[in-house]
Amino acid sequence: MIAPMIVVDKLRKSIRNGARTVDILKGLDFAIPKGQFAAIMGASGSGKSTLLGLIAGLDTPTSGTVSLNGTAISYLPEDKLAQVRGKTIGFVFQSYQLIPTLTALENVLLPHELNAEGDGLPRAKQLLTSVGLGDRMGHYPVQLSGGEQQRVALARAFILRPPIVLADEPTGNLDTTNGAHVLELLLDLNRVEGTTLVLVTHDPVLAGYADRRIVLRDGLIITDEMNAERRAFDAASAVSI
Amino acid sequence: MASGLAWSSAAKIASREMRSSRGKFLFVLLSVAIGVAALSGVRGFSSSFRATLLNRARSIMAGDLAARTFQQLTPSQQEGLDAIARTGVEITPVTEVLSMASSPKSMNPVLVSLKAVDPELYPFYGTVDLAPASSLQTALADGQVAVGDDLLLRLGLNVGDELKVGNRNFRIAATVVNEPDRLSGNFEAGPRVLMSRDSLEETGLIAPGSHALQRFLFKLPPPPDGRAVSDTAVADLKTRLETLLPDAQLTDYRETNPALTRGLDMATSLLSLMSLVALVLGAVGVAMAMRAHLQQRLDSIAIMKSLGARSGQIMKIYLLQTMLLGVAGGLLGVLFGVGVQLAFPVVLGKLINVPTEFHIQMRAVFVGLGAGVLTTLLFTLPPLLDIRGVRPILILRRAVEENDDPFIAAVWKKITKNAAQILATALILAGLAVIATMLSDSATVGKVFSAGLVAVLLVLLAASAGVLWGLKFFLNRTRLHLPSSLRHGLANLYRPGNPSAALLAALGMGVMQIMTVYLVQRSVVSELHISSAPNLPNVFLVDIANTEIDGMRKLLKAQPGVTAEPELLPVVSARIDAVDGVAAADAKLKNFPRRLLRSISLTWADAAPPGTKVVDGAWWNADERKPVLAISQQSADRLGVKVGSTITFEAQDQQFTPTIVALTKADGQHAYGRAEFTLNHAALKGLPVIWSGGVHVKPAEVSQFQRALYVAYPTVTVINVAQALETVRAVVIQITYVIQFLAAFSIFAGVVILASSIAGTKYRRIREVVVLKTLGATRGRIATIFSIEFAVLGLVAGVVGIGFACVNVWVLSHRVFNVAFQMQWAWCAAGLLGTAALTVVTGWTASHRILGQKPLEVLREE
Repeated sequence: MIAPMIVVDKLRKSIRNGARTVDILKGLDFAIPKGQFAAIMGASGSGKSTLLGLIAGLDTPTSGTVSLNGTAISYLPEDKLAQVRGKTIGFVFQSYQLIPTLTALENVLLPHELNAEGDGLPRAKQLLTSVGLGDRMGHYPVQLSGGEQQRVALARAFILRPPIVLADEPTGNLDTTNGAHVLELLLDLNRVEGTTLVLVTHDPVLAGYADRRIVLRDGLIITDEMNAERRAFDAASAVSI
Repeated sequence: MASGLAWSSAAKIASREMRSSRGKFLFVLLSVAIGVAALSGVRGFSSSFRATLLNRARSIMAGDLAARTFQQLTPSQQEGLDAIARTGVEITPVTEVLSMASSPKSMNPVLVSLKAVDPELYPFYGTVDLAPASSLQTALADGQVAVGDDLLLRLGLNVGDELKVGNRNFRIAATVVNEPDRLSGNFEAGPRVLMSRDSLEETGLIAPGSHALQRFLFKLPPPPDGRAVSDTAVADLKTRLETLLPDAQLTDYRETNPALTRGLDMATSLLSLMSLVALVLGAVGVAMAMRAHLQQRLDSIAIMKSLGARSGQIMKIYLLQTMLLGVAGGLLGVLFGVGVQLAFPVVLGKLINVPTEFHIQMRAVFVGLGAGVLTTLLFTLPPLLDIRGVRPILILRRAVEENDDPFIAAVWKKITKNAAQILATALILAGLAVIATMLSDSATVGKVFSAGLVAVLLVLLAASAGVLWGLKFFLNRTRLHLPSSLRHGLANLYRPGNPSAALLAALGMGVMQIMTVYLVQRSVVSELHISSAPNLPNVFLVDIANTEIDGMRKLLKAQPGVTAEPELLPVVSARIDAVDGVAAADAKLKNFPRRLLRSISLTWADAAPPGTKVVDGAWWNADERKPVLAISQQSADRLGVKVGSTITFEAQDQQFTPTIVALTKADGQHAYGRAEFTLNHAALKGLPVIWSGGVHVKPAEVSQFQRALYVAYPTVTVINVAQALETVRAVVIQITYVIQFLAAFSIFAGVVILASSIAGTKYRRIREVVVLKTLGATRGRIATIFSIEFAVLGLVAGVVGIGFACVNVWVLSHRVFNVAFQMQWAWCAAGLLGTAALTVVTGWTASHRILGQKPLEVLREE
């Protein structure tokens, strides 16, 4: 059996809003094995982004734990969490989250500068070239289109070869053509780098590419199933290769 | 700071950020620069100006220090002076003696005040003006003398004629137009005859053991770095001389004239206050700019955290940026400051006729730079520490969790959560207090300033919280009844993330500083104008007989050159027999020549005379029968007496022992100021009286006045100090000009800094403007909303700032400047409206570009 890369155990998250306590996640349990591509689905307000934030250690759960590669991360001190994020996770966000004051190349290079030794420049350039931005490395985010910004974000997510990539509606802000291009690149990079990919989306088409679909409603998992179509597609691809 | 990020990588990231948003960084840089420029400019110029003033004060004494004694020096005292001379201090004696002088033309002798000097050394500072113009060495060489023009008048002589003094005839080489130490000498005698010390010996007037007044002038060696002699060096020499010459009256250059001393003291305190104000205003600018800068970086910080950056690493990046900004802004500010220092004398040159003694004060430059970097670092500490609290989840969800814990628990939670920030704030205040104490030449100003700063910050923060809470409360109850622009404008003040509290604190602080400087300088300048008023006596009359006084009054009234009511006072000559029951010979005196106890002038007055202030005790009623005495504070110190002590006087073989009921301080500008012992009329009744007086005569008409007086009352001595007093007056007026000019500069710099702080909030409004515009709001409507928000901010900050300014001015007036405090309602109201107008106008100006932009452009930039 493949060891799980992500383990979510009795995970709850509540926030207080005035006198009211709102339960966003009401106790989730699941595990994602290494190399799996899992899609987390659900309507707006179902708790998808909160779950992604907790998996990434961007927020602290009210109770329960998240373990990444065998390490429980939920209650680690902030600096330890940052280290875990830096070395273990690559991020792709719906709104790109590039640093507006840095060029495309500098944005891609940033995780390397923060978390690694040595020269990250050749890899940053190679990644940017692989996402088709070899000639736009010196541009600032504001000078790039939405699709281009998201491709920079993809390159940034993979620069440290993280074992996990988390993507939050990566094509949500893009038109169909650009969305398809970004998704294609994401899947390509995922395959080449062999990462575990968790994708949050409300788009069934996008989720159709995943190995597994976890569907949330009102903070609970209502469906957790393997994607038969995808498995069939992979099998067909393997035969054709 | 635990961090694996190399400094070089941090520097790289920091510099990339700065490079890409030059406009915003330039803004921060300019804020730092303006603060440092104000600090180094004001400080540099004021220290140059003070040095110039002190030089002038030295020329009024002709030395750094003077020791007056009637006794011959003992061999050990002479040895002591020789030892002092060996340390590089120059010493020259000035002998003053009363004598008779006559002319071969008219044999009527006249009592003259002889002054013998060494023309090679005297005066150490200033010059003796002679007519016809010549050097003192030439005029006093080879049996020549220079005399006052009143002597020529009395003896009917001209320059070139002969004058007999003692055993010898001298040639009158020139008249003395002005001698620098005219106010320091003994002028209550007769016309001046100035001669060399050799000539004095030839007159045979000074026999061994004679009691001529000896005045030793001292000049300290200037420090090797070219700066002026320090106050400390003068004070050290004074202490040494107090021990060496216990009977001598010691005066330093700051004590030559009370108006000048007061002017110098006030200028020192006020200029020091202005430096501190410049420092805090600069710091406020820096703090606001850095706060706005880091606020805009919140998203970037959250992104970096999500990419694995630790708080320490991010703090390292922004700390480097801050230091870079502090140093670059500081250097730029120092350049501005040097420009200001160079420009001030040019701008002020014509107004105050300051000689070109100004040079760049390197100390001020370094202090400015150091203070700039330090305040930048100090004030960026809290926003830097805030980095630790930025949660990376921000990039996914901007939900603001509200807190409904019970009040105490909520406050405690807030305190524990912000412990580091609270510690940083304490550090900032302590740091500012240290800088303030280092910068301040007046310890009291430093203390008042630091304490005021802490108090005002606390009150401002409390007031901002209170006002914001009040607004929220008010709006919750009136929400739908108010016009929407007003509702929106007020609601803007407390929306989450609005920097209202910080802006209120900054504005309030700035307004307080500016108004304090303005109100204090107004009080000080008006006080200095009184002490340098153009109608103060400048001609003194001595020896008016009791039978002449009525005629003298009429004559003075008839003189066209006399511009103010003459001040005439009765003088009774007496001696002191005992002090507090201790015989005069045994009384413990402090730097008071014992010989003076034998010739004391007493006067009477039913109320405190003009220019005399009671500093302890109280004046008596006009019908007081028991003998009572008011004595000058200085004489009281020297005689070792206080209110309640007694002094036994003897006049005309009649002894009387008045009790001291008041200690006084005279402004030295009025005739009464020269009488150190004032009694009630009953105590002196029946004793022989002569009169003295003081009168203001237009300087150009003094000669004519002297002639008229001489013709009517040839025995009355006329002392003309018009020229010397004009010099003092000119210096005091210069002080007031410079104070006003520097105050105006400080206020201008303060307004610029505050304006930039307000303008710095514009970046936070962009998103709001875009949303409003997208929803169809017109520019006019948005401008109205902002105007309401800014006007409320300005008014609240103005009320708190001006309130504190009044408290500051009250404390400073009483404890530092010793001037009367008057509530200046009109100026406070003007300040309040000005603050509101400033916030609205700068807020508008800064938002103008945003208002004109298309929403999409801004959205894309964002």
